[in-house]
Amino acid sequence: MVLEATMICIDNSEWMRNGDYSPTRFQAQADAVNLICGAKTQSNPENTVGVLTMAGKGVRVLVTPTSDLGKILACMHGLEIGGEMNLAAGIQVAQLALKHRQNKKQQQRIIVFAGGPVKYDKKVLEMIGKKLKKNSVALDVVNFGEEDEEKTEKLEALVAAVNNNDSSHIVHVPAGSNALSDVLLSTPIFTGDGEGGSGFAAAAAAAAAGGVSGFDFGVDPNLDPELALALRVSMEEERARQEAAAKKAADDSSKQDKEGESTSQDATMSENAATSASESENKKDDLMDDENALLQQALAMSMDDPAATVTTRDTDMSEAAADDQDLALALQLSVQEGGKDQSGETDMGKLLSDQSFMSSVLASLPGVDPNDPSVKDLLASMQNQPEVSPKKDEDKPKEEDK
Amino acid sequence: MACLHDHSCEDHDCSSDWSLYKHIDIPKVSALNEAVPGSVKAVFKAWEQRLSSSEGLLESNEGDPELIVYIPFTSDVKIKSISIVGGADGTSPNKMRAFINREGIDFSDAQSMQAVQEWDLAENLQGVLEYQTRYSRFQGVGNLTLHFPDSYGGDTSRIQYIGLKGEATQLKRDVVATIVYELMPNPSDHKTKSESGGGMSHVE
Repeated sequence: MVLEATMICIDNSEWMRNGDYSPTRFQAQADAVNLICGAKTQSNPENTVGVLTMAGKGVRVLVTPTSDLGKILACMHGLEIGGEMNLAAGIQVAQLALKHRQNKKQQQRIIVFAGGPVKYDKKVLEMIGKKLKKNSVALDVVNFGEEDEEKTEKLEALVAAVNNNDSSHIVHVPAGSNALSDVLLSTPIFTGDGEGGSGFAAAAAAAAAGGVSGFDFGVDPNLDPELALALRVSMEEERARQEAAAKKAADDSSKQDKEGESTSQDATMSENAATSASESENKKDDLMDDENALLQQALAMSMDDPAATVTTRDTDMSEAAADDQDLALALQLSVQEGGKDQSGETDMGKLLSDQSFMSSVLASLPGVDPNDPSVKDLLASMQNQPEVSPKKDEDKPKEEDK
Repeated sequence: MACLHDHSCEDHDCSSDWSLYKHIDIPKVSALNEAVPGSVKAVFKAWEQRLSSSEGLLESNEGDPELIVYIPFTSDVKIKSISIVGGADGTSPNKMRAFINREGIDFSDAQSMQAVQEWDLAENLQGVLEYQTRYSRFQGVGNLTLHFPDSYGGDTSRIQYIGLKGEATQLKRDVVATIVYELMPNPSDHKTKSESGGGMSHVE
């Protein structure tokens, strides 16, 4: 809950077009910036955040430190990529912007996203670092994008020069399947100098990890009741997952029999722990639930199953009700996409893999028509958009079902 | 501008003179370019403890003897003189510049702004030197900022004690927080003593 004024320096140089961070470096950076802004403003309502770009035609301040999150998010739109990142000028302008903050009681912090190469000398950067330290400005550096030993060395030297009592940090994010924002969630940049994390960071980190955070399910009813619900669900899932693992092995052989029950799923779900049919029914029923995550998990579960059972599942499907064609299609789609996207999936998706949990959730739901084709289509498309808010998806099938 | 303390302290109580430290808002004291964050609070103490470094001293970062000390007061004060005890081996500051009632002064501001008063300091390890202020300029001081640009040749600057002599008023220089304007005066809000029955005269 430190009272802080933060300036975020964005790199919008040509090097940000690269797609080694999905979808592009620039987009990953923008997501991370949005997350940081949210975390800062939530941890203390009087915190202010400002944004500036370091490349393009020159260093440009997009928004001066403000506590209005909407303004910050709006200014991130329509940013153009081009030019070369000017680290020294960017930091100096950020320092100037912080100097003229309205509330002098706020601590000063600069967060730099360094994607492109750094053309300044180590000496110059160290001088800048010393000046920041002298004026008690903290600096966080996110080293991503171009990987260069020299660049890493320079940035490390810069942060070492600024660091006063562990208030400044540097994070190296290599390219890979993890989203930039997910990696940052667990770093001190979010958790704020080891205070134990703001509620936002803790809750978000818990959601990403699919497990229990430092708090009891993040911040339960205070900040986000829906998120709390989702987290509680994931806890149950974790427990149930253990049983499901053992059950699954046994149930695989009896898949054929369980297919026949697909029409009477609503009442008897709890018994069919590991059937692919119940899994798919669960997927649809889960749309009624608040947890989009559960859905994703079911789809993921169908992906997790060994490839051999995919065909059996498909054939099993055809034995059941008429629209199982769509069901099979949905499953196939989800399996294919799952193979591609699995690494990119958030861990919330893995929650859905737990079939026993799915069944228990299903048992508690009112009657849902699982054979609605629109519901199934939605299912298939959901695999592509795990980020789509669950409410929107649920509202649509709810209306269609009724 | 400095006077020597060449009498024994039994005649008059020196510590009561240097008691302005009691009116300093210690938690809000801050310094720029200090090596250990928060060490600046240790330099404001009673006159008798001015030479003891049991609670630590204020030291600047390696290789940079510049220091800025921001001192807010709990009420407005009038400062008559200032005493500084520095460190040995050339780590005493050799110059002092004062600014009053300005918050958030950093090094670039301090270097460019005109100070209210500047002094050349001597190495004052025993704490017997005091530097008088132009009293008329130091009336109604809500906060004081001291800028020490350089030291006597040392790599860092060390300050062991900062003493302030003067008077404290009971006033507090503050931003007016709430003002209620009356668009239409309501007489019942402004009962005089006689109307509310508290007065001595009572006419029947």
